Amino acid sequence: MAHQAHAYHMVDPSPWPLTGAIAALLLTSGTAIWFHFHSLVLVTAGMILLILTMIQWWRDIIREGTFQGHHTPPVQKGLRYGMILFITSEVFFFLGFFWAFYHSSLAPTPELGGCWPPTGIITLDPFEVPLLNTAVLLASGVTVTWAHHSIMEGERKQAIQSLTLTILLGFYFTFLQAMEYYEAPFTIADGVYGSTFFVATGFHGLHVIIGSTFLAVCLLRQIQYHFTSQHHFGFEAAAWYWHFVDVVWLFLYVSIYWWGS
Amino acid sequence: MVRERRDLYSLPDAPLASRCYSHSKVETDEEFDARWVTYFSKPDIDAWELKKGMNTLIGYDLVPEPKIVDSALRACRRLNDLASAIRILEAVKDKSGPHKDIYPYLIQELKPTLTELGISTPEELGMDKL
Repeated sequence: MAHQAHAYHMVDPSPWPLTGAIAALLLTSGTAIWFHFHSLVLVTAGMILLILTMIQWWRDIIREGTFQGHHTPPVQKGLRYGMILFITSEVFFFLGFFWAFYHSSLAPTPELGGCWPPTGIITLDPFEVPLLNTAVLLASGVTVTWAHHSIMEGERKQAIQSLTLTILLGFYFTFLQAMEYYEAPFTIADGVYGSTFFVATGFHGLHVIIGSTFLAVCLLRQIQYHFTSQHHFGFEAAAWYWHFVDVVWLFLYVSIYWWGS
Repeated sequence: MVRERRDLYSLPDAPLASRCYSHSKVETDEEFDARWVTYFSKPDIDAWELKKGMNTLIGYDLVPEPKIVDSALRACRRLNDLASAIRILEAVKDKSGPHKDIYPYLIQELKPTLTELGISTPEELGMDKL
């Protein structure tokens, strides 16, 4: 059998890009069908197909890297660039929602009473649960760094403990935020205040859930000896994503919860 | 400048150019007023700039001079925004706080402009009794 005379990874043909594209089509058209004709069939099929695509695509990447050795240093460098570029695109995604928030809050319209918070809006006290949430995420940033150092130093048990703690803190944040959403005296339908609040914090919450899931996968992989002290890029990518989620929260907290109250 | 306070420099939220740094320029009351009259006099001021300007101005620890309010009301006229014009009157009344003599003085000074632009006061509309 011929061998490759370079260090790069020429991937084998895979069906997952196609299934992912089909899932995207089903999700978009399915949403439109749901809105107009009240049927959830297409969008549900799209969600299932998307989840199956993600599981199988990333499972294949783990097989290619961890078990087949395809993730040489140049390949890993490419994966690093990829993750950085992806996170950068997410930064721009959130930038848009911050733009919307500041556009509306720096120059509140007469319909709102010309003031921010708008007339009639009872804001959340930034020094209650939101402050606790800030502490929880900051603490999880510490624990994920502890986990990284544990992995690098070959401390298996500590790596598992600190990674577990990080994930638990992530769940705690999500739980607290869900409670806040339930108890809030305003809804997404309450003018531009409600819109900017729930869309910005809502997308953030979704990213916390995604980040927690990513870390949970890393925990399972760490338990199954996938990571070495020198090579654990999957974990690093998860940790970068987690720090990004934390930073977005800090901006949300300062802008919307604190200044905006 | 219609201000009721002890000393220009002892307030935490004085206008930017008036903080007591020894190295930066101090803005006089006249310069402050002129700056804001100019801001609202921009011929093509847009709705966002009007609302932003008002929010910034109302954030200061002072009641704006009649000439500033006049300039803002004329900006409302250019933007066809009667709601904001009346709201500005409510805002300056609120900024006067316990000093009940400031608002009638402002309305007295602004009467010609209010008549010219056809702006009713909140009192004339019965909106002050909510």
